[in-house]
Amino acid sequence: MTVLLAVNIRDEQGIVVARQRTRQVSELLGFDPQDQIRLATAASEVVRNAVQFGRGCRVEFGVAGRTLLINVQDNGPGIADPQAVLDGRAGSANGLGLVSARRLVDDLTIESQPQVGTTVRLKKTFARSGSVPTDQKLGQIIAELLKSSPEDPFSEVRQQNRDLLKTLDELRERETRLAELNRELEETNRGVMALYAELDEKAEAIRRVSDLKSRFLSNMSHEFRTPLNSIVSLTQLLLDRADGPLRDEQVKQVNFVRRAAVGLSELVNDLLDLAKVEAGKVVVRPNTFLAADLFAALRGMMRPLTTGDGVALTFDDAAAVGALHTDEGKVAQILRNFLSNALKFTEHGEVRLTALAHADGTIQFAVSDTGIGIAACDRERIFEEFGQIENAVQSKVKGTGLGLPLSKRLAELLGGRVWLTSEPGVGSTFYLSLPRNYSAPTAGTPGERSRRAESTRPTFLLIDDDEIARYLLRGLLENGTVNLVEAEGGRDGVRQAKLHHPRAIFLDLMMPDLSGFDTLDQLKADPDTRDTPVFVYTSHTPSAAEQARLAGKVAGILAKAPTASREAAGRVVWEALEHAGIAPPRVTHA
Amino acid sequence: MERIPIIRMSKFLLVSIQVDMHDRLALALQEDLTAKINETNARGVLIDISSLELVDSFIGRIIGTIASMARVLDAETVVVGMQPAVAITLVELGMSLPGVRTALTVERGMQILERAIGPTVTEGTDAGPEE
Repeated sequence: MTVLLAVNIRDEQGIVVARQRTRQVSELLGFDPQDQIRLATAASEVVRNAVQFGRGCRVEFGVAGRTLLINVQDNGPGIADPQAVLDGRAGSANGLGLVSARRLVDDLTIESQPQVGTTVRLKKTFARSGSVPTDQKLGQIIAELLKSSPEDPFSEVRQQNRDLLKTLDELRERETRLAELNRELEETNRGVMALYAELDEKAEAIRRVSDLKSRFLSNMSHEFRTPLNSIVSLTQLLLDRADGPLRDEQVKQVNFVRRAAVGLSELVNDLLDLAKVEAGKVVVRPNTFLAADLFAALRGMMRPLTTGDGVALTFDDAAAVGALHTDEGKVAQILRNFLSNALKFTEHGEVRLTALAHADGTIQFAVSDTGIGIAACDRERIFEEFGQIENAVQSKVKGTGLGLPLSKRLAELLGGRVWLTSEPGVGSTFYLSLPRNYSAPTAGTPGERSRRAESTRPTFLLIDDDEIARYLLRGLLENGTVNLVEAEGGRDGVRQAKLHHPRAIFLDLMMPDLSGFDTLDQLKADPDTRDTPVFVYTSHTPSAAEQARLAGKVAGILAKAPTASREAAGRVVWEALEHAGIAPPRVTHA
Repeated sequence: MERIPIIRMSKFLLVSIQVDMHDRLALALQEDLTAKINETNARGVLIDISSLELVDSFIGRIIGTIASMARVLDAETVVVGMQPAVAITLVELGMSLPGVRTALTVERGMQILERAIGPTVTEGTDAGPEE
């Protein structure tokens, strides 16, 4: 027998498939339409029987010679007496179908084993076909049957249903997984929120600590400064032999004490400045000045720092930059820091200060050196407090480690910034960029406004060691139209003159640290202060030789006259000022 | 689940079986039809099996049962359009559809039904539903 097709039938819907398949097979084999229907009907009966009693079956279509064989095999309980069924003696609906089917085919046999299953064999010979179908023909039939596989629509739907259910299950599983993920995410979220809260707390704590640090620094610095000033003053007294002569060794020792105290004092000053900036206590006092003037003042200040052994300090011409309106003192402080820093770390070559005006209204200062340079990893750190870097030069030179951080804070205060480029071993360039015109972040308090107004008044410098004398002179000059800056000695005076660029200087001749004459010489030697008119204001009557020494250098000599009336003394001062062409606004004393 | 449609035509119900019926579908038809007769007081049922290529013992039995049930519900049943091959097979199977009236075409089937119900209904169909 050549098997053409086998179909598994599971349920009633399958009966339709069995019918259709039988119809198809018989048609392909050449049965006439009537026989096709007979065969299909017979198969329908047998298969229904198998489905009803055998819970599904396997239908096999085969050809042997000129006979079509249909075997329907089930695994049901089996039929106890097949012959009785065929003879119509079974007496139930069970046998009826088989009996009917038997009439429609040539032969129908039943093989049955109880509890194993039943096989029903149907046989029908091709009625009119004369020849036995060749293998080739049968192959064609098989191919045709395979091609058109009229699947049971119901089982197809059921298959689709199963697939759908599977998909649904998968979806549900995915949903569950999503929900799980969601829950996890929520938990993470809660964790993150908690962390945020913690971070906020930490930030608050850090802010408090920072505030405390600033306040501590400010207070401590203040407390340090007073005794340090005492030490410096007292050592100065000793060095001035105010209390008798000192032996050489003692002079050396006192000098050491003094130098140490001065160094400490510088450190404290830096700390205090930094603390002030951090506490927001620093007031910006903008005034209008020329960049060229600033450079000149810086040159005067920095020249003494050059060690003179192969390092050139060069200032570019800053005339092109023109005038700035910002806090000159702070700009000078930043650049001074840059310059002294550059000089410290440059052993050979050049330190150069340049200025450049940008179109967007910012001025960029640059201090470039040919020093040791700074590694990339250290560039941020050097702007941190005490962020000095370990190196050979570093250990040789002293520094507080506060200059750059302070510069950074000051630049920020002026609306600018500082940064640097550097190549280790080749050199560094420190930049300061700030707006040409300083604009206060807010309108400011009345106090600030009045201070700003102050800065537009002409500044006079009083250099006198005698506090009472300064006090008196202040009384004569202070009428609300001038700024008074006081210096307690010649050296301080020279420094202040460079810093403040006063319109006029009042100079005492008899001073402990640097006499009036020497102070005058220094002032006149410095291009920054050379042109500032100096009035000698003294109780000492200069000798002819001293007068000759002063001639041509001073704008006038005023005598301290304690006996003269306040008004008379004031008039003398004002007339001298007017005479020198420095005409402060005459508001009072008229 | 799919169903075979039952169309109401005045006093009659018209059933046209267009698909190869499986057993459950046949049982469902039996149920639907009896319910429909009851619901519409139909006096006649016309079952068109012209598209049916195969009627085996089960389907034949169902058709017979439907006819019996309809009769009990006071409705006549006519099966129309049976293909010759189907008729031959049915007879060979040993089934003669007892109690089921048959007709070759729908038209003749309608005539049989009208005659069976009598003149009242003929008037009724002309004058509109009255009963």
